[in-house]
Amino acid sequence: MTHRFPILFPLVLLLLVAVAVSGVLWGTAQISWADRAAILLRSDDAPKGLSLIVWQWRIPRVLAVGMIGAGLALAGALMQTALRNPMADPYLMGLSSGASAAAVAAIIWLPKSVTDSFGVPAIAFAGAACAFLMTLGLSQRRGHPMDPLIVILAGVAVSLMFQSLTAFFLYIGDPHATRNAIGWLMGTAAGTEWAEVPLLAIALVLFALWSLRHSNALDATLLGEERAQSMGIRTGRLRVMIFTVTVVLTGLAVSVAGIVGFVGLIVPHMARLLIGARHRVLLPMAMVVGATVLIAVDLMCRMLLAPEELPLGVLLALLAAPPFIFILRGLRRAI
Amino acid sequence: MPSDPALTIENLAVHVGGKPYVRDVSLTVPKGQIHGLIGPNGAGKTSLLRAVYRAERPVAGNIAALGHQLTDTPFKDWAAMVGALVQSAGLLAGLTATDIVEIGLAVLNLDPDAAASRRDAALDLAGLTDKADQPASALSGGELQRCYFAQLLARDPDIYILDEPTNHLDLHYQLVLLDEVQRRGKTVLMTLHDLDLVRRYCDRVYLMSHGQIVDQGAPDAVISRENLKRHYMVNGEVSGDALRIEGPVPRASA
Repeated sequence: MTHRFPILFPLVLLLLVAVAVSGVLWGTAQISWADRAAILLRSDDAPKGLSLIVWQWRIPRVLAVGMIGAGLALAGALMQTALRNPMADPYLMGLSSGASAAAVAAIIWLPKSVTDSFGVPAIAFAGAACAFLMTLGLSQRRGHPMDPLIVILAGVAVSLMFQSLTAFFLYIGDPHATRNAIGWLMGTAAGTEWAEVPLLAIALVLFALWSLRHSNALDATLLGEERAQSMGIRTGRLRVMIFTVTVVLTGLAVSVAGIVGFVGLIVPHMARLLIGARHRVLLPMAMVVGATVLIAVDLMCRMLLAPEELPLGVLLALLAAPPFIFILRGLRRAI
Repeated sequence: MPSDPALTIENLAVHVGGKPYVRDVSLTVPKGQIHGLIGPNGAGKTSLLRAVYRAERPVAGNIAALGHQLTDTPFKDWAAMVGALVQSAGLLAGLTATDIVEIGLAVLNLDPDAAASRRDAALDLAGLTDKADQPASALSGGELQRCYFAQLLARDPDIYILDEPTNHLDLHYQLVLLDEVQRRGKTVLMTLHDLDLVRRYCDRVYLMSHGQIVDQGAPDAVISRENLKRHYMVNGEVSGDALRIEGPVPRASA
């Protein structure tokens, strides 16, 4: 299937550009075509207010959402390879529930001065990292190599623990603060700033290059732990690196847009159905599809009930369910 | 000490989960010979092979291939010398038979033409040319084993480590693929449960029990009535060209 890549990849790339441009041109504010052209060309005639909306809100938002989609798809594909499990996703190691519990606790319990100085995103990142370390700790068995099944079970246990904590905080919290916390949990890219873009870009480019450089080793890992080891692949080292890539990319995604599910689970499968499982083609395809899907859904969040915005995580979950069922039918034949 | 040893194992001990699976095993496979490991389930045969292809780190002893000590050799260099056919579950969604063979070749960094020629020849040997582009998940157990065998034949290392290479294979491909390994004149260390195949291919056999080598020598000498009775709890003996089993087989607990 890799022979389809030279035809399909440029097509998907074109689609990404089209969706990204749409994400910049359309939104809750109505802008005429003349103004759009003036704003994008930075003409002196461009209306100041609308120019601010496009350059300070829409463009960084589209860039950030695209990179989050690409990053989550990359992390999801890597996790599915590392654990050789088609149901693995970036949140598997308790990252989303750890981030949720920390963010909800911060929003409900911490004084505003503290959350303002540290920022809820940074606190959520710390929660995700904490859950990740707990999962990693629980997965270690003395004298045994890391077993993917134990990692998954540990991740489920840690997730359940943090989910219960989140529910407990929401149950006993002040109703006003609880509403804010629920808003954060649903995920949104509203309010994304230029300042958040460089870190996402650096992490995504570095980890994408690292992954592509190791695509042969990742391919070998798909064939099983022992087969990869017999081909000279240091699977333990590779897995630790994959977990590191996952926690950083997912943590950054959560810190910018809250919990955005499904992309890391479904997009790698979509890419696999399109061009096969060889990582040198799978990873670029998954990243471009992930970026396209998330920018498109974010645009719909802004447009469907304009001027109100729908939460990104909620709409994504609603839209992702039908393709997921379709992909599952394909996977049943492929696994 | 045999002349020109290709694979040397000295005083090897392997522990799995803290328990000893291989204890003080030493053996030498000379260049171009096929040596077999036999013995009942749980005797330590696979654990010994896992140490050779570096899936398990020994707690004691030395392993050397073509004069290179395992501990001093980078993983990739070792894998280029010592290739293995192993039992391991993978995630095959999105892969074809061709992909599986190519993945084995990719880690060798061959030029594309040489890699393509090796791939096609190996798929042909394994009788998979017409299924080369089929999803690997649609292959039968035997076809998948042929696919992994083709991968190893395409890589063609100096030393072949084969862990139950005939698993799931029909009689035709058992003979075709092992004949090919023999024809190439490579050094082989393998485990086999089929004692007739052991007699057909092995120059020397090691009988393992409880992690140790308890007998070794020419196949017909090791597959003796006494060893069959003591280690397999089976009455039988080699008679002419065949291994003959006598009477009902008693249960292990009897």
